[in-house]
Amino acid sequence: MIHIKTVAKYIRRSPYQAIAATLIMSLTFLTISVFALITILSVRLIDYFESRPQISVFFEPGTPQEKIEAARKTLESTGKTSSIKFISQEEALAIYREFNKDEPLLVELVSADILPPSLDVKAEVVTDLPALADLAQKSEGVDRVIFQKDIVDTLSQWTNAFRQIGVAIIAVLLIVSIFVILTIIGIKITIRRGEIEIMKLIGASDWFIRMPFILEGIFYSVFGAFIGWSVSYIALLIFASSGLQSFFSGVPIFPIEPIYMIAVLGIELFAAILLGAFASFLAVFRYLK
Amino acid sequence: MIRFQNVSKIYYNTKAIDNISFDIKQGSFVLLVGPTGSGKTTIFRLIIRDLEPTEGDIQIGEIDVDKLPKSKIRHLRRKVGVVFQDLKLLFDRTVLENVMLPLEVSGVSEKEARARAEEVLEDVGLTDKIELFPLQLSGGERQRVAIARALVFNPDVILADEPMGNLDLETSLQILDLLEAINRKGTTIFMATHNEHIIDRAHYRIMTLREGVLKSEKKVLKTNSKTEEEKKDDKKKENQEELNEGKKKIKLESLKQKK
Repeated sequence: MIHIKTVAKYIRRSPYQAIAATLIMSLTFLTISVFALITILSVRLIDYFESRPQISVFFEPGTPQEKIEAARKTLESTGKTSSIKFISQEEALAIYREFNKDEPLLVELVSADILPPSLDVKAEVVTDLPALADLAQKSEGVDRVIFQKDIVDTLSQWTNAFRQIGVAIIAVLLIVSIFVILTIIGIKITIRRGEIEIMKLIGASDWFIRMPFILEGIFYSVFGAFIGWSVSYIALLIFASSGLQSFFSGVPIFPIEPIYMIAVLGIELFAAILLGAFASFLAVFRYLK
Repeated sequence: MIRFQNVSKIYYNTKAIDNISFDIKQGSFVLLVGPTGSGKTTIFRLIIRDLEPTEGDIQIGEIDVDKLPKSKIRHLRRKVGVVFQDLKLLFDRTVLENVMLPLEVSGVSEKEARARAEEVLEDVGLTDKIELFPLQLSGGERQRVAIARALVFNPDVILADEPMGNLDLETSLQILDLLEAINRKGTTIFMATHNEHIIDRAHYRIMTLREGVLKSEKKVLKTNSKTEEEKKDDKKKENQEELNEGKKKIKLESLKQKK
C-alpha cells in the first residue's frame, strides 16, 4: 500500500514524464493490438478459403449425369480426394440467389438452365491438387476447373509478409519503449537520490527503495497497454461496422467476438507487466547500485 | 554498548580516524568534541556502517558492526537512532510523515506507525506541528523532528551529529535539555559538537578528537545514569581532587607563614 501511495506521488509530481512514458507504451501496444487483429482476421480469411472447395469442376450446362458421375469416379479412384460433392444446376441457382439476395435484378435475370452443374473436390493433401485438377480437366463435358490453391497461397504469402513486418515494427517499438521507461525511471532515481540516501540511512531495505520505481515502470506499461488496446478495439468496432465489412462482403470474418479481444487484452497486460518490470529493473540496477 | 577497538579509517591515503579505542556504556551521555574535520562524523558513519573501517573492530551491543553482512545493515540502523548533521528530513513530507518513515520502511502498518509517531512528537513538543512541512518550521523545531525520527524506533542509542549546528544558544540548550530528558529514560546519547557553550554546560563524559586521534577523555561528575563502577571512579577522582586542593591550600598557607 505504501508503495502504491509513493508511486502515485511520484507520478503526480512529474506528470509530463508520466504522459510521455504512457504514450509511448500506448503506441507500442496499439501496434501490437492492430497486428494481433490483422493476424486473427488473416487466419479467418485463410481458413475461409481453405474451407472452400479446393477444386471446382464446372461442367457445360446440360451435361448428362452419367458423364458427371464418370468424372467423379475417375477422381475418386485416385484415392487422393477427401470429399467430392455434386452441385446440381438447381443448387447452383440457390447458391447464386443467396449470394445476390440484395440485388433482385441479378436474381431475376438468371435461371437454373444457364448455370453449370459442378463437382466440389477436396484433396487429402494440398500438394495433390494440381494432379487432381489436371485429371478433372481431361474428363468429358468439363467446361473449366477453378483451382483455389493459388488464392490461398497468395493470401498466405501476404499475411506472412505482413506478420514479419509487424514483428519487426513491434520489436523496434518494444526496444524504444524499454529505453523510454529506463530513461524516465533513471531520471526519477537521480532526482530522488537524496531521499533514497535518507531511506537507506534509516534502515530501508534495498527492495523497499526499488519497489516504487519498479511499480512505476509497470504502471506506465500496463496503462499504456490498456489505452493501446482500447483504441484498437474502438477502431475495430467503427471500421468493422462500416468499410471493412462491405470490403470483405461474403467472407465471414466479422464480427470479432469480444472473447478474442479480452484474450488479446489479457496477453497484452501480461506482456506489459513483464516489459515494465524488465525496463524498470534495468533502470534500478543501473542507477541504484 | 558501543565499543571501538583500534579503529582506523583511511580515505584516499588520508587517515580520517587513527587507531581509536573507546567504550560507551548503556545509558551514558557522551560528548564527542573536536573541530570540523577531526573525524566526528566518520565515527558516527562507522557506527551505522555507512562506512567500513580500514582496521579495527566496532561493536554495538552484541552486534559486530564491521563483520555485519550487508543484508543485516538495515537491522543495525533500526537499533541506532541518528540525528544527522544536515538533519536529512524529507521536505516534501509532513512532520508526521517524516517521523513515520523509519517505521514504514521496516514494515510497520500505517496505523501503528502513525500512533507511535504522534506519541514521539508529543514527547518532543511538536504535537501542534505534525501536519506542517519542515520548511514551515524553525531551526529548533526541525531539530526536534530529526530527534523524534531518531527516537521513533525506541533505540538503545542515539547518535546526534552536531544537533545544535546552526542554532542560537537558547534553542541549543532546549535541544540539549530534550536529549538529556531522553537520556534520563535510559537511552545512550552519543553527541558530536564543537559548541563551546554546550561543552561548558555538559555534565557528562567528553571525548576530544583532533585530526582523527582521540586526544583526551574527561568524565565530569553530574551523571544521570552512570554505572556503579563509574560512580565509584568519579567519587575517587572527586576525593583526589579535594585532597589535591587541600594540599595546595596547606602549601600556600605554609609558604605565606614562611614569608
